[in-house]
Amino acid sequence: MKLALNAGDPWSAAAVYDIAAGPEKWQLEALMFGSRRNALMLARWEHTPAEVLQGLAASGEFALRMRLDRNAGTGALALSQLYRGERNAVLIGLIAQHRHTPEEVLEQIAEIDEDMAILKALSTNPAASERVLRTLAARMPGMFDSAIATHPATPPDMLETLYPASNAFIRAAIVSHAHCPVHVLERAAEEQDPTVLRHLAASTRIAPAVLVRLARSPDAAVRRAAAANPALAPALLLELVRDASSAVRRAVATRDDLPLAAIEALAADPDHWVRQWIARQPATPQRLLKRLAQEDNVEVRRAVARNPACPRALLKLLAADKSAWVRAAVAYQPRATATLLQTLAEDGDVDVLSGVASNPKSPQNILRRLAQSAEADVRRGVILNPSATRRTLQPLLQDPYYLHRLLLTGNAVLKDKDKWPLHDDPDDTVRFSAMRWFAGKQRQDLVTHKAS
Amino acid sequence: MKILVAVKQVAALDEDFEFRADELDVDEDFLLYDLNEWDDFSLEEAMRIKEASDSEVEVVVVSVGPDRVDESLRKCLAKGADRAIRVWDDAMEGSDSITVGRILAAVAKKESPDMFFAGVQSSDQANASTGISTAAYLEWPHAAVVAGLEYSPGAGKAVIRRELEGGTLQEVEIACPSVLTIQLGINKPRYASLRGIKQAAAKPIEEVSLDDIGLSPSDVGADCALSRVRRMYVPAKGRAAMIEGTPTEQAARLVEIIKEFKGE
Repeated sequence: MKLALNAGDPWSAAAVYDIAAGPEKWQLEALMFGSRRNALMLARWEHTPAEVLQGLAASGEFALRMRLDRNAGTGALALSQLYRGERNAVLIGLIAQHRHTPEEVLEQIAEIDEDMAILKALSTNPAASERVLRTLAARMPGMFDSAIATHPATPPDMLETLYPASNAFIRAAIVSHAHCPVHVLERAAEEQDPTVLRHLAASTRIAPAVLVRLARSPDAAVRRAAAANPALAPALLLELVRDASSAVRRAVATRDDLPLAAIEALAADPDHWVRQWIARQPATPQRLLKRLAQEDNVEVRRAVARNPACPRALLKLLAADKSAWVRAAVAYQPRATATLLQTLAEDGDVDVLSGVASNPKSPQNILRRLAQSAEADVRRGVILNPSATRRTLQPLLQDPYYLHRLLLTGNAVLKDKDKWPLHDDPDDTVRFSAMRWFAGKQRQDLVTHKAS
Repeated sequence: MKILVAVKQVAALDEDFEFRADELDVDEDFLLYDLNEWDDFSLEEAMRIKEASDSEVEVVVVSVGPDRVDESLRKCLAKGADRAIRVWDDAMEGSDSITVGRILAAVAKKESPDMFFAGVQSSDQANASTGISTAAYLEWPHAAVVAGLEYSPGAGKAVIRRELEGGTLQEVEIACPSVLTIQLGINKPRYASLRGIKQAAAKPIEEVSLDDIGLSPSDVGADCALSRVRRMYVPAKGRAAMIEGTPTEQAARLVEIIKEFKGE
């Protein structure tokens, strides 16, 4: 706290604000909120801690209130405070759609507000309760049907009431809703509208016979939805493997429960997207992977290289592929051996080197070399590598790219003394992040101390 | 051998900005300042010439503006510029881009560089005229929108590639010294190292007055400007509509709109 105050740095002050108390807290507030420019900046910044935003909520200035209402980090208490006495419709609309707005405030808006824009914003807020939705539906029937049909809090009885009077889009949304009653699904099965049937075909709660019928629908979009439905019977899958629509076959190819016969048929599909999905399937036999690895299509070869079950011999072959995009996939492969990664570390392509840098199997001596790469993407790979040791990471604390230093402030391998110099980093966000890390540790120490 | 690089600290608009009471500009509290993006590329081009040269090359950055501009000049020093010059006098307030060109030309006359680089334009004002007006005051050859440069320090000419319409490039031979306005993408600007930033913090920034460059208050400022801002405002919003409904309904309507635009 003293460092933040002595430096006169609003970012550091924001980072330590929640562990401050008494006169120090007031001094931090004076530093952060004393200048309008700083206050506006903190009210808008996406990383500003909720406690700091709470501290700003008492402001009467319009520009500040608008930023706080818009900031995703603003907490429930601040939003309640901001709502009290707010007369501006735009700002009330922002509060109505904020995910942290407390239920009682949302209910109050639903009950008393007349502004349609505000009520629409409220109806799409995922934090709105069942009571809010019922209030809106009762006050202005039909005005919020789309939002109600898609809202996660809508109860089954509301969906049931809504279904018969709605257009096909809303009925389709109701069919997709997790709370849709089974008898509404049964009713939907009698429909002819392709939009409703498409959504119905994706449901895992429909009767097997209905799913069979939908999987044989003349509409390719309906068959495609059925093809992706986890409840589809294996026999039907084999039928859809030969579907005339490539979109349907692609949906089949993405499934993780394909029988061998389906995999074999799809591996020879004329559509390369289908073959690509099959090349990624861990269940695809090695002989098929070997064939797919020899394709002209780069994406298919790359998919083989990305296959979690790709044999090491095939990875070795693909590591020498003429396309850097394929070699990069090998470099990222968790099954790649240290020897193979050592070979790839000599590659000149930045994507390949980034893969080697981020691969946990890469030896530390390789990572240390890549940490000195002129390419930021490669150095970032090392920073994100969970196997990178403290010694490997230490030089990267001096990385010229601020984002890399920012990433290292939260790294668990580095010790506090390694990170400490970042507290006066020239970059605002790095400084904030470093100070926040140390403030968090102090907070944790206080909790532990109190508990003991 | 010396390359003079003109740089500007530009203002970026924060969201939900407000105008000043006189409606001539945005309230300064809503502005975020940073080095002009084009100038990052100009400086990098100068640094590459310096680093590739066997002979000594001095890269000097110059900017016209108040104290806050020092922050941007230090950024240039951190990236390797040898010296930084800031020109300011309260009389310069209200100068337009042509007048800033006059001031930069006066600095160039004093510094006698072998080349003068500027960005094609500044991101905040977008006049694209400062570099060219500097050339006019210096009576030097100039080339705008330079996307490629072949130049050896001390050479009497340089070969440049100018970016024109339709993705075409125009290769031009230009006599030196000259003024080049550098386009984005000509190179990949570096990030300043932490060591560079620390060293730059200790480097002096040369503060130059009007008198130092042989100009008087009557040569600069709002009274001298060939243009003046009458009003700044946000125009009334054009035709726009929110697409409402369920996600499927919105997607269907979007497809309809795309088809309408394509005439299908």
